[in-house]
Amino acid sequence: MPAPRPVPLPTINAKRPAPAAGPTAAAPARRSPARARSCLGLLAGGLLASALGAATPPAYDFFVCANINRNYVVGSKIVTTNGVYRRDPAGAWHHLGANDTGITAVAFDPRDPRVTYTSALNGLWRSLDGGQHWRICNSWDMTEARDVAVDPQAPDHVYLALPDGIAVSTDRAETLVRRENGLPARGKYTQVLQVDRTRAGRVFAGCEAGVFLTEDGAQTWRCVLPTQETVYDLQQSPHDSRLWLAMTHRSGACRSTDGGLTWEKIAAVPSTYPLYNVTFDVTTAQRLALGSWALGVLTSEDGGRTWTDRNAGLPAAHHVWRVGIDPAGRLYASVAGETLFVSADFGRTWKPDALAGSQVNKFLLLPRPAP
Amino acid sequence: MRRTFFSAVLFTCAALSGGAQPSYEAPPPPTGPVADASLRRADYFRRVDEVLDWAAGGGSAKTNDPAKLDLAMIAARIVRGRDLPGCSQRVIELMREPGTGPFWMFPSVCIAYLGRDRLSPEALASIRTAWRTTRQIRGDTENHFAMYYLSLYLMAELYPDEPADAWYTGRSSAENLAEARGYLVHWMDETTTVGQAEFNTTNYIGEYVIPLLFLANWAKDPAMRQRGHLMLDWFFAELAVSTLNGVLRGPNSRVDEGSVIERWQAMASYFSWLLFGHTPPTAGYSGWGLYFAPLAKNYEVPEVIYRIATDRPDGFLQRDRARVRRFWRYSDETSPPVYKTNYLRHDYAVGSTRGGRIDPLQSHVWDVTWAEPDPRGKHPTMFSLHPHAASEIIQASFVFYPEPMIKGVTFEGKPSYDSPDKVMGSSPYEQVFQDLDTVIALYAIPPDTRFPHINGFFSKDLAEVTEDASGWIFARGGRAYLAYRPLAPYRWETYRHYSSGWAKAPVELGGRLLTSPHLKNGTLVQAASTAEFRDLAAFKAAITALPLRFTLEPVPSVSLTTLRGKKIAFTYGQTPTVDGRAIDYGRWKLFEGPYLNAEVGGRKLTITHGRLERILDFNTLTITDRVQ
Repeated sequence: MPAPRPVPLPTINAKRPAPAAGPTAAAPARRSPARARSCLGLLAGGLLASALGAATPPAYDFFVCANINRNYVVGSKIVTTNGVYRRDPAGAWHHLGANDTGITAVAFDPRDPRVTYTSALNGLWRSLDGGQHWRICNSWDMTEARDVAVDPQAPDHVYLALPDGIAVSTDRAETLVRRENGLPARGKYTQVLQVDRTRAGRVFAGCEAGVFLTEDGAQTWRCVLPTQETVYDLQQSPHDSRLWLAMTHRSGACRSTDGGLTWEKIAAVPSTYPLYNVTFDVTTAQRLALGSWALGVLTSEDGGRTWTDRNAGLPAAHHVWRVGIDPAGRLYASVAGETLFVSADFGRTWKPDALAGSQVNKFLLLPRPAP
Repeated sequence: MRRTFFSAVLFTCAALSGGAQPSYEAPPPPTGPVADASLRRADYFRRVDEVLDWAAGGGSAKTNDPAKLDLAMIAARIVRGRDLPGCSQRVIELMREPGTGPFWMFPSVCIAYLGRDRLSPEALASIRTAWRTTRQIRGDTENHFAMYYLSLYLMAELYPDEPADAWYTGRSSAENLAEARGYLVHWMDETTTVGQAEFNTTNYIGEYVIPLLFLANWAKDPAMRQRGHLMLDWFFAELAVSTLNGVLRGPNSRVDEGSVIERWQAMASYFSWLLFGHTPPTAGYSGWGLYFAPLAKNYEVPEVIYRIATDRPDGFLQRDRARVRRFWRYSDETSPPVYKTNYLRHDYAVGSTRGGRIDPLQSHVWDVTWAEPDPRGKHPTMFSLHPHAASEIIQASFVFYPEPMIKGVTFEGKPSYDSPDKVMGSSPYEQVFQDLDTVIALYAIPPDTRFPHINGFFSKDLAEVTEDASGWIFARGGRAYLAYRPLAPYRWETYRHYSSGWAKAPVELGGRLLTSPHLKNGTLVQAASTAEFRDLAAFKAAITALPLRFTLEPVPSVSLTTLRGKKIAFTYGQTPTVDGRAIDYGRWKLFEGPYLNAEVGGRKLTITHGRLERILDFNTLTITDRVQ
């Protein structure tokens, strides 16, 4: 397949879009799929137009994958708009693509952001036109996908995390094959995939049995960090590509400073509770945040040496699904049974944001290609 | 007053408020067979008509207002040819907000096919549009996948040669058809070689047999039609052999808050009533059951299966295999085998698996149940369990985060999951052995386990309950004598019941829990027919005379000579023995008994009753009938 023509990432107008341009997430409402596509079309058109006229577009776009339908079980009615939302610089959230309660992650082709992938209960969905049309990419033998990642150095290569392993496409998800050589027969439940942005085919997988690394596009995997139970998150620092962090179920938080080859435990982070995710602040190299159901929000402003409880101001139970940091350095916490909360001072104070009742499965900070 | 419990099935919640249902309100039907085939067929058709009339008349809505019809009522009205313009209009309205998963897909397929030459083009187009525009969630269980792919298959056949953008999948009709067929053949292959993961469900049987009936009738491909027919026979043969007077007995991969104690209150009973006519139907015909009726007259259960359900000698043993729902993690095996034993007599039934982890939420591992002349509102069951609740167990089968999981499932149709007094679910710390009508359940519960105790269920419908100085507890259930031997001290608690999957709080319906807080523990149960003894005193004397030795340390261990003269020995963590011979589970067949027989890996089920035999062969896709 010929490589698609590079297209700049769509950007969002600095002004809040008019209501007619699409629903924002302050009060997510059910809408018809046809209308959803129409809104997407308007949004995409506006975004592209905006991109052409924007003076200094931010370097990143900020997305969440959120299930907003509380207590949804298969068979019950979906009454809210779920899935991928994108935050514009004015603070409004815009829904993208399909209303799907089971979306766990989103990824884009860096050459053409209209090429969108979402991992979901059904497996892997792909859109080539900015979310207007979607295609299920996997067969019946792949289900309940946990994460999806695109290799920025080889954008035709798409990696899919599955509860029973890993599938890979080398043709923009036209075909998917399992590539699990080196993964254990049991213990390959895969929660997260993270591609090393500096080298094609170098991918980390967070599995039940530990962190696994491939350096040949998933032809072979090897364990670089064994863990007792599932690895929930892996992140590469946007400031130092050799710095990686891993969050685990019972093995605490771990850090690698040599590109993921060796790992050490971060002593200052408790390992008695599952740690759901971690995030870097693109604006400040020393700032990190992690989210946990039991611990809530912890932040570090010294590169992870010390951590501070930042739950004051969050609802009392402070059960946190995930934390995220937007391109302006604002910290977000998805609090169970509540709404999304945002902090402009890195967790010292909080205020409610949109997406009431949501469970955020993923925050995604997506670098924009150079103009 | 009759007590009825909601099933976990969503539709049933609405159906329970339904209007008069003649057979539901009537005295229980006779349990014996109808010998004359034409009379039997007429009775069957009359029952089908009862369902259709109820649904076409407004069903649970109890109204003729077309604006309140749901798809099940519309299906019945299409069959009856009643107010077709109104049906068309209502379909158009309903399709403005289509559902998003397998529980919407198969009803919409039903309307799409039934309405082909009855509904307006606009109504049919509205269904077709919904299948183009609305993403359908495939789900995460065996029944979800079956409904999803059976529906997708039939819609892809109904609308062939359409391009990818004509479907929510983004795939062409041919691609959808191939994908659906691939899964269905795989699923049938698994079911007929190693068994179902969702075996002997009290309610989910409908989610399989209804879309299978659609496939058997509507598939264009004759091979797939035949597969549908074969699977229907397969499911109903297993239903027939696992029921006593139409009520499902023994272990279930998935049960619900109601049917775990009111065993009749299950969609399985609806199908027993419809096909065999020997138990009352459930309220609202179990909701989803309405979708079987429109095509029911095109399927008639073969006589050999009918006879197994209704005409059996007193006492038979059936030993089968199934498998555990897939474990994504926290297990060395993906889908370990399940070994099931069912011993059914006229007055009672004893059934079990070997215990351990089965379904993460809704398993029912073992019980002794007895026949009731009218099963409605009765709790004819006795069993014990360790009320295990652990996020690790749920995580093994689901992909959620650990900590919110336990509380989460209590909001999602399993309200008792995190209750210490629950009576549903399996435990890794329970091991069970059954020989005929004797059950030994042993427990070795780690000290740090949530809910470190066991519960024994004692029904409100037991009579003559006596705590004997010997340590045995004696009782009578219907025409069965029951002896229950707790192996450790216990106390009694009032049984509290969640009356539906969505109940906010439990209620008291009568009945007690025998609760024992000892971590090394066990239960023995021996059943017998009242006809075998002069009175309860004679039964007591026979039981207390049985040689019994047990110890709880270092692990529970029991040696017992049963009422049937078998010397059984069972130690926690070891293979049980009968008369000195170890049970060889590795040699168990997929089905083995006087009525159903199949080899593991065989893809072939032999159904036998007297001189009648039917062979369902998935290797050749043939049905062979013989009269020997």
